[in-house]
Amino acid sequence: MKRGSAQILHWLVPMAALAAWEITARFGILPPYLSAPSLVLLALWETIRDGELVQALAPSVFRVALGFAIGTVTGIIGGLGAGLVPGLRNFFDPLVSLLYSVPKVAFLPVFLLLFGIGDVAKIAIIAFSGFFPVFVASRHAVASIDPHLVWIAKNMGAPPRAVFFRVIIPAAAPELFAGVRIGLAHAFVLLFAAELIGGSSGIGTLINAGEEWGRFDLMLAGVVCFALLGFGSDRILLLIRRRVLKGHLIGTQEQVLP
Amino acid sequence: MTAADTVASGNDGWARNRRRAWHIIQRWYSIPLLLTVWQLAVSAGILQSRLLPSPLAIGAVFLAQLSAGVLTYHAGVTFSRALAGFTLAMVSGLPFALAMARSAVWRNLFEPVFFVGYPVPKIALFPIFTYVFGFGSPSMVAFTALECLYPIVVTAYFAFGGVRSQLIWTAQNFGAGRATVLRRVVLPAALPGIFTGLRVALPLSIIIVVLIEMLGGSSGLGYYINIWSTRFAFANVYAGILMVGICGFVLDQILLLVRRLVVYWQV
Repeated sequence: MKRGSAQILHWLVPMAALAAWEITARFGILPPYLSAPSLVLLALWETIRDGELVQALAPSVFRVALGFAIGTVTGIIGGLGAGLVPGLRNFFDPLVSLLYSVPKVAFLPVFLLLFGIGDVAKIAIIAFSGFFPVFVASRHAVASIDPHLVWIAKNMGAPPRAVFFRVIIPAAAPELFAGVRIGLAHAFVLLFAAELIGGSSGIGTLINAGEEWGRFDLMLAGVVCFALLGFGSDRILLLIRRRVLKGHLIGTQEQVLP
Repeated sequence: MTAADTVASGNDGWARNRRRAWHIIQRWYSIPLLLTVWQLAVSAGILQSRLLPSPLAIGAVFLAQLSAGVLTYHAGVTFSRALAGFTLAMVSGLPFALAMARSAVWRNLFEPVFFVGYPVPKIALFPIFTYVFGFGSPSMVAFTALECLYPIVVTAYFAFGGVRSQLIWTAQNFGAGRATVLRRVVLPAALPGIFTGLRVALPLSIIIVVLIEMLGGSSGLGYYINIWSTRFAFANVYAGILMVGICGFVLDQILLLVRRLVVYWQV
């Protein structure tokens, strides 16, 4: 298939869906809660112009960034520790396998009552849920490193620090990033839930407000924003990964993964 | 041979049993240890909070609610919704992934939809779903299916696409038709990869169902947890969380069992 026609096909489905949505909404066939895309764009522009969007985005970004950072850092430290030190492994493994299968959303009401409906509860639940995939991935990554690599480095006289930073971390990095990416995806699910259930500001609240006022274009603008926020964060993570893992990904499926 | 070794080989079975017991203790001590510390802290009055009842209190409520059939009812609701959404995503997603992997037109048509949509938090679409489908089971199942669809399709697409062409050519060379190639070569070769995607999607289904039940359900474990937390009955909340965990664990074990049966050649 030629490149040109492939490009056309690429755009066909999204464009057709948008056009169909726009036309049916314009003719009043769609129910009012599905505002036409053009109106949603207008509402988006409106929120950008009077600063409402920035006001809503700032707390959401703050929460998800801080919670995700805490969860990731503790997850990596814990996972690497558990992977390297048998004592830590024996302590953490049963606890993590016990909690891993529990969806962390279930803890949301507890967190909201424990920490109040402010930022702390939201950051805490995002960090809590982000910890587990990162922990499991980094623990498994360290455990499955080819021992020859470590032996060779030691044999060459590398001190433990060098073995850790030059052998173990690079070898574990690809799998580690996979865990971090799952953690990021879960972070947005929890951010949305936390803002919808116990929200006082943020994108979730913007969506809620639009719904309550019957301003469905505003609600959908919030939805679009939230989707873009999640998408953008994932892209940033992939960019970082591509820089860090330069050379690791050649010839693997990961190289072409979206 | 040292004296200790002689003794060990003298009563070999006894020593081995003791070593095994010690090993099990080493592997699992942290859960009972933490539970005991927690229980003692509550009993001694160090931890005095309605938010953190003692493990024994939670256990008592869990057993009472279980035998009263309340927890089993809600767990059944959540379990069946999650399974329905997951199955729907699997049944619709796998043929889709296959079509995308085998046909250039399908690939070009739908690659962007799945690849660009993959990292978008689908949960953002939840308000729209509640308007279109309402708050009942169909809405939850549809939304769960949407969430599960993406990891299933993307991983299955790579699994189908990664089947070595030589395998297919060899089968064709032996006179296998399209259906035979699909059933006997492509599908088995792609199965391990497909199961990876399923294993990512399955916990997602429970997360989404519990979340939606929390936001606006009238049954299910998410509803159960939410309603008891508004009544400040935290032993019930933790009992609900425990049940959610059991549901997730059971679903995962079922999937692993199915994988072991279907992909029997891969240990």
